[in-house]
Amino acid sequence: MSKEEGEKLRIKKEEELKVVGMHCATCVSTVSKSIKSVKGVKDANVNLASGIARVEIENARLKDIVEAIKKAGYDVVTQKISFKVDINPEDARKIEEKVEEIKGVIKASVNPTNGYVIVEFNPYSITSDELAEEIYKKTGHKVTKVKSEVTNKSEVKEMLERLIIAWIFTIPTLYFQYSGLLFIAFLTSIPVQFYAGLRYHLGAYRALKNKTANMDTLVSLSTNVAWFYSVYALIVHQQVFFDVASLLISFILIGKTLEAYLKERISVQITSLKEVKATLADGRIVKASELKVGDEIIVKSGEVIPADGIVDEGSGEVNESIVNGESLPVKKKKGDAVIGGSTLISGYLKVYVTRAGERTYISQVVEAVNQAQTARLPIQNLVDKVASIFTPLIIGISAIVFVVWRFILGYSTEESLLFSVATLASACPCPFGLATPLAVLTSVNRLAKKGIIVRNGESLETLKKVDTFIFDKTGTITEGKISVRAEGDKDAISYASALEKMSNHTVAKAISSISNGSFEVKDFTEFPGSGVYGKVNGHDVIVGKREFVLQNCEGEGKGDVLVCVDGKVSASFYLEDKIREDAVKVIEHLKRMGKRIIIATGDTSENAEKVGKELGVEVIKGLSADEKAELVKSEVNKGRIVAFIGDGVNDAIALKEANVGIAISSGTDIAKYAGDIIIPKVGDLLTLLEYSKLTVRKIKENLAWAFGYNSILVPIAAGILYPTLYLPPEYAALAMSMDSVAVSLWSLVKI
Amino acid sequence: MMIDPVCGMEVDENSKYKTMYKGKVYYFCSPHCMKAFQKDPEKYLKEGPKGMPNE
Repeated sequence: MSKEEGEKLRIKKEEELKVVGMHCATCVSTVSKSIKSVKGVKDANVNLASGIARVEIENARLKDIVEAIKKAGYDVVTQKISFKVDINPEDARKIEEKVEEIKGVIKASVNPTNGYVIVEFNPYSITSDELAEEIYKKTGHKVTKVKSEVTNKSEVKEMLERLIIAWIFTIPTLYFQYSGLLFIAFLTSIPVQFYAGLRYHLGAYRALKNKTANMDTLVSLSTNVAWFYSVYALIVHQQVFFDVASLLISFILIGKTLEAYLKERISVQITSLKEVKATLADGRIVKASELKVGDEIIVKSGEVIPADGIVDEGSGEVNESIVNGESLPVKKKKGDAVIGGSTLISGYLKVYVTRAGERTYISQVVEAVNQAQTARLPIQNLVDKVASIFTPLIIGISAIVFVVWRFILGYSTEESLLFSVATLASACPCPFGLATPLAVLTSVNRLAKKGIIVRNGESLETLKKVDTFIFDKTGTITEGKISVRAEGDKDAISYASALEKMSNHTVAKAISSISNGSFEVKDFTEFPGSGVYGKVNGHDVIVGKREFVLQNCEGEGKGDVLVCVDGKVSASFYLEDKIREDAVKVIEHLKRMGKRIIIATGDTSENAEKVGKELGVEVIKGLSADEKAELVKSEVNKGRIVAFIGDGVNDAIALKEANVGIAISSGTDIAKYAGDIIIPKVGDLLTLLEYSKLTVRKIKENLAWAFGYNSILVPIAAGILYPTLYLPPEYAALAMSMDSVAVSLWSLVKI
Repeated sequence: MMIDPVCGMEVDENSKYKTMYKGKVYYFCSPHCMKAFQKDPEKYLKEGPKGMPNE
């Protein structure tokens, strides 16, 4: 066996993953099997005591292994980090691929609009510092570690600096060249070519290193062809083009600076508390980020509330549109909760801080929105393909243009070169890379202002294709305020009421409000989705769904919930829950759209059927959380595209199984809600559907801009209409850079 | 400490895997054991623990 063959047979890498949730030997075998089922895994060794799975990988992706473990019902400890990196939009996919090749990296997503790379990695095999170093080695891009910032002011500043230098030296270059002082024109063109244009040359070099080509390649190639040819022409006393090279860079920089400014404007739409100042009760003024739980702060009219808290003193009207999208102010008085990021319109409040810094609601929103902005929409795959062949194609066309003008049409080398350079300078793959992310970014930001949090940008595109909507009932379709009617033995009813006080379930809460007597409750045990058991005043009491109680008790009973005391059915409860007004509107709208609608509920009561009849939709009742997830899964397996809409806490598994999981949150801790999108109330589903449609339309419009612009400019620059219409290289460059500006501006236009 | 009626392991009363059968609460070490018991409780109550279910 040769040394090379030996190298090939060697194990490529070994990863140690920390698996969470293993209890016994069965778990070890399940986890082990799930890892080994991934193609390319050579061996897996799982240790129950340490929770570490040591995996020998030959040619498998870590992402697939982690997914396999999660699918088996366990979790893996991973870490997420955001990096800031200076990239071209069309390179985003390439960078993602390169980063995902690094050992320990599970997933990388790049947001081309603001240059953020979010990397999920295995902290047991690589540290964040090592990761930054590896990214530099692999891609040639220096990265800076950031946490969760949305803004980036430095790019505009840097672009502006280069733009100013470019024009300061371009104007004298033009003057000296046209005055015949060619050597001085050569000298003044140097800073433009090698300082102002440096980012394009470096970008082209990096692209070459990554065996790809991008916009930088086109700019660098066109300006270098013009500039180096001019140096040669200066020596042999022929016509020079220092003006062309300098103007080309200066014009491109105008467009790119404008584009950077626009991208920044789109990114900085969500309020962040980072900049807000807070006044403490003792008069000290601190940054909002320095506040701690327990601090007391003073908020005066017109000020932004710097943290989440409870009003301790005073009263006032607060605009809470960041939470629910409602612009009508809400009255707040002592004891009411206030949300950081909302504005006190009038009045005075002394607030006791309950959540500060990154735990505040608005910080969670910024974090979620930031993540959604890095989404890769399926449509982007097509765009990537176009972008990857675009630059080599243009370089080829440019070479053909030179050959045609010089050797077929018989023009001079100088003239032919100008057409060739103009072709290079007129084409830009940038807008292809910007079209999708800018549209998603704008929608995600606008929805956040309406209180709708999109955590997974992809879901905006998927939502448009959904054909089956599965709704949870209690709290989603109905108001969740259950009214209860009791029948049977009075003592049994009181015992049941006392026992249910220990549970948090919506039905339990309704039953617990029936009686106020004082009882001793012991051995309380809850069987999620079925019922509860406990000893009340020495009696064995079971309260739960009819089937559950009848399985464990003697006797018979009608009603939705039965009570068993000392082994005998002694009382029953009948439940009723009102349908929400906005739910009726949503269901009617979806019906008009011809969508399939199912209500999946854990409720077994007759009320569940009544709700279905009233709305005219199919109801599947008596489902546990797992069964709801199974229902979603089976619909997905049938090839349907399913959205599940339900309470973010109880329906976590079903929300995950659906193509789009939409959680309804009434609280402010968005971190605890599962799902791709979080909406404040079911009625907001209509707004969401509208935005989904508009986002996809916006993406298509942006792509049409990008495609149309290039397909008109390139032939003109190649001289197809010469001499009627002619585009000199510098104007071709200006026109090209305006393409991205057009796409950015179009993304900002209200959708 | 309680005994998992399926595998025979000692289990804590705080285990989240539990079920009620004929009015009595049973605790398990894993969801696999719980599911096995729910499928055929009489088998385990009559014949005693059988060891880890092979899934």
